[in-house]
Amino acid sequence: MENMINYGIDLGTTNSVIAKYVKGDVEIFKNFTTWKDTLPSVVGFKKDKIFVGDSAKVYSEKIPQDVVAGFKRKMGTTESFMIKCLGQSKTPTELSSYVLKELKLFVQNEKDVDAAVITIPASFDTVQSNATKEAGLQAGFKQVVLLQEPIAASLAYANKAKEKKLTDGQWMVYDLGGGTFDVALVKIQNGEMRILDHEGDNFLGGRDFDRLIVEKLVFPKLKENGSFNNLEQDMKSDNGKYNAKYASLINKAEAAKINLSSQTAADIEIDNIIDDNSKELDFSISIARSEFENLIKVQVDNTIEMIKKIMVKNSLTPVDLQFILMIGGSTFIPFVKNRVKELTQVEINSDIDPTTAIAIGAAYYAGTKAKNFETVELKKKTKVKVKMAYPKASNEKEEFFAARIEGSIEGLNYRITREDGGYDSGTKPLKEKIQEDLPLVEDAYNFFKLIIVDETNNIIKIDNDTIEIAQGKYSIAGQPIPHDICLEVDDTETGRTKLEMIFGKNSLLPNKKSISKRINRTIIKNSNENIRINVLEGPQSALPEANQSIGFISIKGTELERDIIKGSDIELKFEISESRDLTVSAYLTLSNQEFKKTYNPKERYVTVNMLKTDLEDLEKTVNMEISEVEEREEFETAKELKKVQREIEKIHIQAAILPEDSGTDEKFQIEDKKRKLAQELTNITKDKYIQKARAEYFDLKKNTQKLIEEHGNDSEQRHFNDLVQSESTVINSNSISRIKEINDQLYSLNSTILWRTPDFLIGLFNYVSKENYSRLNNQEMAKSLIEAGKFAIQSENWDRLSGINSELLNFLPKQMQNEITTKIGFN
Amino acid sequence: MYHQKKLAAQMEGMLDTLNQIFEIERKLAKIPESNSISRNLNKLKYIFENQLLGEENGLVYHNPINEKFDETRIDCEATIAGESTENLIITEVIKPIIRLKTSDGLNQIIQKAIVVVQSQNKFNEGEN
Repeated sequence: MENMINYGIDLGTTNSVIAKYVKGDVEIFKNFTTWKDTLPSVVGFKKDKIFVGDSAKVYSEKIPQDVVAGFKRKMGTTESFMIKCLGQSKTPTELSSYVLKELKLFVQNEKDVDAAVITIPASFDTVQSNATKEAGLQAGFKQVVLLQEPIAASLAYANKAKEKKLTDGQWMVYDLGGGTFDVALVKIQNGEMRILDHEGDNFLGGRDFDRLIVEKLVFPKLKENGSFNNLEQDMKSDNGKYNAKYASLINKAEAAKINLSSQTAADIEIDNIIDDNSKELDFSISIARSEFENLIKVQVDNTIEMIKKIMVKNSLTPVDLQFILMIGGSTFIPFVKNRVKELTQVEINSDIDPTTAIAIGAAYYAGTKAKNFETVELKKKTKVKVKMAYPKASNEKEEFFAARIEGSIEGLNYRITREDGGYDSGTKPLKEKIQEDLPLVEDAYNFFKLIIVDETNNIIKIDNDTIEIAQGKYSIAGQPIPHDICLEVDDTETGRTKLEMIFGKNSLLPNKKSISKRINRTIIKNSNENIRINVLEGPQSALPEANQSIGFISIKGTELERDIIKGSDIELKFEISESRDLTVSAYLTLSNQEFKKTYNPKERYVTVNMLKTDLEDLEKTVNMEISEVEEREEFETAKELKKVQREIEKIHIQAAILPEDSGTDEKFQIEDKKRKLAQELTNITKDKYIQKARAEYFDLKKNTQKLIEEHGNDSEQRHFNDLVQSESTVINSNSISRIKEINDQLYSLNSTILWRTPDFLIGLFNYVSKENYSRLNNQEMAKSLIEAGKFAIQSENWDRLSGINSELLNFLPKQMQNEITTKIGFN
Repeated sequence: MYHQKKLAAQMEGMLDTLNQIFEIERKLAKIPESNSISRNLNKLKYIFENQLLGEENGLVYHNPINEKFDETRIDCEATIAGESTENLIITEVIKPIIRLKTSDGLNQIIQKAIVVVQSQNKFNEGEN
């Protein structure tokens, strides 16, 4: 395969494509700056820079003196293009060679691309064909084989549908692109494929359809809804006041056209257009597929006339043609296919990708053509050394890059591209010193690639081709957060509160995070109830009371504009600046109210009320712990706990007599002591909770595995495997919260499976309907549900029983449904 | 293959939704309103950035309105309005730039913006 040409190139009027034959298949190379399959055949010049493709296409209509498109039509003529900024002319052959060189760059990480099959239109004569060949040689190919486009398309079809081997016969290739139309009659006889006839229009394609949508459908609607004296002129003229709007409408029309290929109607939104009476227009135009079809009918019929002309010239009837092979982007339009079939009565063939078919066919052909020269590795590769200088981190929107080049640089060019696909410097001559202003994506690592190429775009290898600049991330060398910063939330399991991570220890400043929570109890407007947002600094695994509050908002019932219902959302935003100012904002979606405060780390934030509540909670916790350890006769631990209990009582009394607006340091001293005592309490009881959580984990693991074996599915087994995979690290850690987190997930997996199992559903039904019938709130409703439940059990309708159980559970008193604490107001 | 197609369709759906959110945001900027609708929009953007693709990846859009444009900028598919091609700025954004944020900090562009650009020189002349 090494000695085959293998590369196929569609050097199109509008777009070009490169493909390669690889072991019986064809690979299309993507444009390395746009990831599209295609490269617009447009070349632009600016001072010493050349740019090819999409970036040049933008300028092609506006500065044709510097940016050239459509030069393929002039191949082989004596006409050349005067490039104003260069002060010299470029021939169509030279311009084509720039496109071919750019295509070579799509093929990165491969050996030199030294030969190719390049396609030409059926209409090209010998001079034009030779000019194309010359363009290939100028682009550095040692061998160029030409192939007619309709034949390339037919080869793509023949290779795609191998089982439908092409037999002797003839067909048409119908090629309707963005700006040109070609149709050719292709014949195969004794295995030889050739073109018998062709017709075409160099100025007909999809772009005309976009213009028709705007001018025939959008303009009338604009006039209907607004007042315009000279709409067409103001839109279409470069100096017209609506010229920018015209450009945007063409874009929208193209999108609508694409949508109409799969939908029966598409919308074009009109906004931001101010008419001659200063009225702003804002409405939507719906275009039915039938309207669009009526609009393009004349153009499509013209193409069909050309098919008929060929048929008449060659004395063909529809039955003489096997099919009409559709290629070119505009053949995606269903009307085009249907209309061609309707008016020609010949079968339509849309089996191949209309945009890449020609390059694919060329590559298949290239796979069968041997190179007629010997491939010799270049003995002496040009060697260059690059020394780069640039800041590795920046806060600017663009950064200065410079490099010194050592070695022979004659005839070499360079180019810098950003790897996210947002920047391309264009190709420039390499000098001893090069410099560029590189635009940076904000708050991201920006990777650029520097490539150095020879005259024909073969890449010269350099030691280091990557430029890496971190934008907005230079705090990497700056401050990390020294402790976890957590939010206190209600713990439904223990009835107390727990900590949820906002920013982990060592995460970098500045930082921000949003958390959405559900309110777990109703707060009546004007009541004394409140919602507490307490942000604490310290380990997440500790008791909330052991950590230091660094931000606290209490939303009181008296501040509310309406009742806040249980189940509604509270959106919390936390932002910590580089200087560690913490901004907390809470937004209640139901009342549309925001509460926001910024806390300065230099001021510790403690309120007496908050202190009192914390101490009450701490007392309750220590009392409960003491009775538990006494029950287990662990007298040593009880003794330690009682010591902590006495200290807590002492400071509780101190706090009780402090006025709410106390301005003394006393409240800070009490708060300090409280934290130390809570920490001590955590240390004394931590082991017990860890052991308990571990035991719970192993129970849950065993039960869940059994449940999955009996009633689970593959996805549940995978989920389970993922969870237990982290067992060794999580279970051996000393973090209760991590173990609890994995337990919660196992529990939820367990419940999901259980709610599908008949035994569980029947057991639950009996528990609610028999054992707790008297406690159900709405007994009349419950009765009919219970009847329905019995019927579901009889008919083994488990989905229905599951639904009935959920509804019945809602009739249980709330405290039975879920014994949760609501100190904070969300969990 | 089926799976890949499904994923591509899902991603396309997400991009379409983000484009709609962008349009709503753009329209909203012109309506005097308390900021409650913006909050819902911001929440939607947050979901795209932080939740929809898991914790490590997210989709974010950028509106390049009023930013400079020249031939090196390939994150936008631009149409030039007016005669001049010097000193161009983006005057209308039909679709925003959408990036895929990943944990490695490289924010790959997955949708280029569709924009209209115009010479700033012309604006200045118009003002005078």
